[in-house]
Amino acid sequence: MDIKAQLLQVKTDFESEVESVDNLQSLNEVKVKYLGKKGIITSVLKSLGSLSPEERREVGLIANKIKDFIEETLKTKEENLKTRELEEKLRKEYLDVTLPHSWHQIGYSHPVIATLYEITSIFISMGFSVESGPEVELEDYNFTMLNIPPHHPARDMQDTFYLNNGMVLRTHTSPVQIRTMLTKKPPISMVAPGRVYRKDLDPTHSPMFHQIEGLVVDKDISFRDLKGVLKIFLEAIFGKDIPIRFRPSYFPFTEPSAEVDIGCTVCKGVGCKVCKGTGWLEILGCGMVDPEVFKAVNIDPQEYSGFAFGLGIERIAMLKYQITDIRLLFNNDMRFLSQFEGIG
Amino acid sequence: MRVPISWLKDFIDINTTPEDVANRLNLSGLETTITKFGYYIEGLITVEIKDVQKHPQREKLNICKVYDGTELYQVVTADQSVKVGDKVILAKVGTKLPSKDINLVEFAGVKSEGMLISLEDLGLEEKSDTLFILDEDTSLGVDGSELLGLGEEIFEIEITPNRGDCLSVLGVAREVSAIFGFKKKDNIPTLNLLEKDVTIEVLTDDCYRYCGVVIKDVKVKKSPLNIRLKLIKAGLSPINNIVDITNYLLIQEGQPLHAFDLDKIEGRLTVRKAEDGERVITLDSVERVLSKDDVVIADDAKVLALAGVIGGNNSKITDETQNILLEVAVFDPISVRKTSKRLGISTDSSYRFERGIDIERVPIVRDKAVDMILSLAGGKVEGFKDLYIKPYKPSKIILSLQKIEKVLGEKLDSKECEGILNSLDIPTTLVDGALESVVPAHRYLDISRDIDLIEEIARIKGYDSFEPSYPKLSTQSFTLQREFDFFRKTREYFLSNGFTEVVNYTFTSEEFYQKLNLPVPTIKIENYILKSQSVMRDTVFAGLIETVRENLRFGRKDLSIFEISSTFFKDHEEIKVGILASGKLINGYNYTDREIKFSTTKEWDILTFKGVIENYLRSLGLFNFKITKSDKSYLHPYLSFNIEIDGKVVGYVGKLHPKTADQFEIHSNCYISELKLKYVPRILGESSLKDGYIYSCYINKLNPVYRDIPKYPPVKRDIAFVVNVDVKEGEFEEDLKLASEYIYRLRLFDVYRLSEDKKSLAYSVEFISPHRSLSDEEVNSLVDEILDKLKLKYNELTLRS
Repeated sequence: MDIKAQLLQVKTDFESEVESVDNLQSLNEVKVKYLGKKGIITSVLKSLGSLSPEERREVGLIANKIKDFIEETLKTKEENLKTRELEEKLRKEYLDVTLPHSWHQIGYSHPVIATLYEITSIFISMGFSVESGPEVELEDYNFTMLNIPPHHPARDMQDTFYLNNGMVLRTHTSPVQIRTMLTKKPPISMVAPGRVYRKDLDPTHSPMFHQIEGLVVDKDISFRDLKGVLKIFLEAIFGKDIPIRFRPSYFPFTEPSAEVDIGCTVCKGVGCKVCKGTGWLEILGCGMVDPEVFKAVNIDPQEYSGFAFGLGIERIAMLKYQITDIRLLFNNDMRFLSQFEGIG
Repeated sequence: MRVPISWLKDFIDINTTPEDVANRLNLSGLETTITKFGYYIEGLITVEIKDVQKHPQREKLNICKVYDGTELYQVVTADQSVKVGDKVILAKVGTKLPSKDINLVEFAGVKSEGMLISLEDLGLEEKSDTLFILDEDTSLGVDGSELLGLGEEIFEIEITPNRGDCLSVLGVAREVSAIFGFKKKDNIPTLNLLEKDVTIEVLTDDCYRYCGVVIKDVKVKKSPLNIRLKLIKAGLSPINNIVDITNYLLIQEGQPLHAFDLDKIEGRLTVRKAEDGERVITLDSVERVLSKDDVVIADDAKVLALAGVIGGNNSKITDETQNILLEVAVFDPISVRKTSKRLGISTDSSYRFERGIDIERVPIVRDKAVDMILSLAGGKVEGFKDLYIKPYKPSKIILSLQKIEKVLGEKLDSKECEGILNSLDIPTTLVDGALESVVPAHRYLDISRDIDLIEEIARIKGYDSFEPSYPKLSTQSFTLQREFDFFRKTREYFLSNGFTEVVNYTFTSEEFYQKLNLPVPTIKIENYILKSQSVMRDTVFAGLIETVRENLRFGRKDLSIFEISSTFFKDHEEIKVGILASGKLINGYNYTDREIKFSTTKEWDILTFKGVIENYLRSLGLFNFKITKSDKSYLHPYLSFNIEIDGKVVGYVGKLHPKTADQFEIHSNCYISELKLKYVPRILGESSLKDGYIYSCYINKLNPVYRDIPKYPPVKRDIAFVVNVDVKEGEFEEDLKLASEYIYRLRLFDVYRLSEDKKSLAYSVEFISPHRSLSDEEVNSLVDEILDKLKLKYNELTLRS
């Protein structure tokens, strides 16, 4: 057979051979068979020496073309096979990813503490500082310096736990006001979250609960400013459209004093069990700092004015999550706590 | 305070709905709700009892013939006191009472055409002893519901401690009048009483005014219906006309009164301090032992009453009383409060005295009382004495409009302010553009400063009339909230690592400590609710154990929980975090190869638990902690340790001692840790940044300082050391690290027990020189150097071949 025809035959053979290859190993064998040191193409090229220069050039050109073709084809084929093999490997790794994960679960937030942090954060973002104080407190700080003298009926407003060391369990976070004003100069804008205690136990009262106290003291703080700050806060917690009303009330350490109601979050003001038919929920107490309190901490009431407020965290948490019995909050029953995953 | 609307109308004309009144009272400072005096019931009529016969078969029943003016009815009643001539209310057949419907019934063969009723039957009294007897002159056949005023609105008002002036119908009427502008009215009798010698002596400063009136030949009997009904509606029980009159005026005027049986008084009447140990049986039939701080009314022989608190049994008004001494007095609020608190008696009288009485009104109340007594009980006034010891001296307050604007943030009209104050009976005039007010006696405890007047103006004007504004908070007071951030970080670390947040009471029981054989903490609640909640805990452990027990009750053994809370010591507090993990690791699922193994087979162990705690410290940037021996008796002696930072113990970690687990009947595979987070001083000004607390370490820690990343690649070498079994790996690893400056990193990869007394610790060690690549030979000699160095401390150290 003429060498040119031979070469064409090689190409045809190669094409059918490569066609039937289905793995990288066989492909390599084909590669060696045609392009290896002793491969067909190589030996054809070696035999060119016996030809005339014209023939040599002509045949050489054809042979090289076929060689290029074979190389190109092998490369493509190899890529195809590699892709297929990878796909195969990945297919074997198939896993039902809807299976439950094997990392640990996260813990559940306590609704009261979560609420406490949420409220504190709101005030921090308004520029308030966070202050704290001890829970075993002097009667002076808890009462007397807050304008609640001994033997005053206002002491009945808070049933107090008395301790064997002559101190009390603080009945509110308000003593932190006193501590802060005794150690810092105005301007003051602070909140004090913390545990407080009262001698009380029923479905809506717990002997230990949490409050947050707020205090702003500066040269020109007015009752309207108090309304503004509390409006921002209540809207942040309960939403922009929450109705708010201020009612005159009495706290010995503020004058004028107010109680703040929000529209009942359960019935939207229509009247229900939670709001006792009134459409309103009492949410916090507040007022302008009484001059007597300023005098007790050596701040001149002629120069400075301020407002203070305090609210019970449990009440907010109970409204927020519609919890009906305060005692649930301190039982730490996982069937209860597990309902509060991811609340903050 | 319960105020029936009809009583209020005695003092003002009300031209609006009761709901409007209640709402506006709420918005001006008196928390008010409306209740009703029962409700209108059809079929009640007034009747007279014409005949009473015993039931032939049932001795507890009476058969009455009653007459309504046109018809006679036969009614069976269980009341034993009925007598002919009594006028009562009949519920006719077909009447629907709150508790039952009245039908025609027979009692052992005797038919009953209705029922004679008591207040209990109307749902107005918890328990009635007898039928409700009407006045003798009551007309027959009258609608009973209308006669009793069923369905009348009663304002139920919560009065804050500063508003003693509102503890009366009159006081509430004043408020309503100020709010709505309704006209006030009052009927003050004109009596010309003679001040005559009634021997009364006041021997204490705690009596401000004592007025005594002697009235003779009174007739003690039931009060007329209108008086009784008003008292009932106000929540009091009628007793007899004399006592009812004193109660009536207490509710109406806010002035407590007391009536003594004059014939029981021996000798002179004195108001004095009691003697220690003196005794008196009070009206509630309890014998009271007095102290020298109590003020009493006494005669020459005995104590007659506790001034302002409660009367004595020995001189009380009875049906036989003929002559009385009427007391209208004012006592010191603090003195009354002390006696009332000490003896645990709070009465309508003491409650009002504690909150301040209008001392100037005493003569008016006295005259009203005398007038009522004379008209309802007859008799004649023998004389009276009014000892006004501490006359009221009204003070003056000047309030500028600028001050009002400063406090309320808004300019108010001076005329409007003047009008509001006057409407509250605070006499006010405008002088040179400022308000000048005279403090009236009825507000003497509550109003003394300009700020008090501002509150009056603001509350009557209505708080809602002030638009919100926003203060400019000074950036000068800005501080980083590092403490808050620290606690937030702590809380979030444990939450994200699978621990649930719990909140326990901070008080616990003495038994808890006794069980653990630990000293009971020093701070205790004296007036505890429960003995088991009377000790202020000094460890969070108590609460965590309680939580485990609580959840075991519902069959939940596997818990991972934490609590951040205060613990209490003699002179300070410590905020701690307690962490507890018990039973099985709760980490969802565990997959081995492609098979699922549910992780519920994996129990907590000390090293896993240690990882939780250690990573917490690391997350705060704290790495320089040491593991030292713990001596907590409730922990496993070998599976427990302390954590020290800078030589101070900041907490412990360990497995619960099996004995402790047994004592508390909980799972023994229980791991617990308690870390001291923050020192809380009680003394003002003391720093909270004490050594030995994680917060202090966190605040004081230094920032990491960048070091050049090595230029040359590390040479890795696995080295296995053979040491004695009692060598602590942690310590050895520290020593190894320090043994050569060329050690860049190392990692324990194997611990193997070779024999009874030897073990092998194998480390993968990376050597690096900052100056060049290390050759094999160099590393070999480094290893030899290390070995030599370590041998100084670990004598028998060898390399495992």
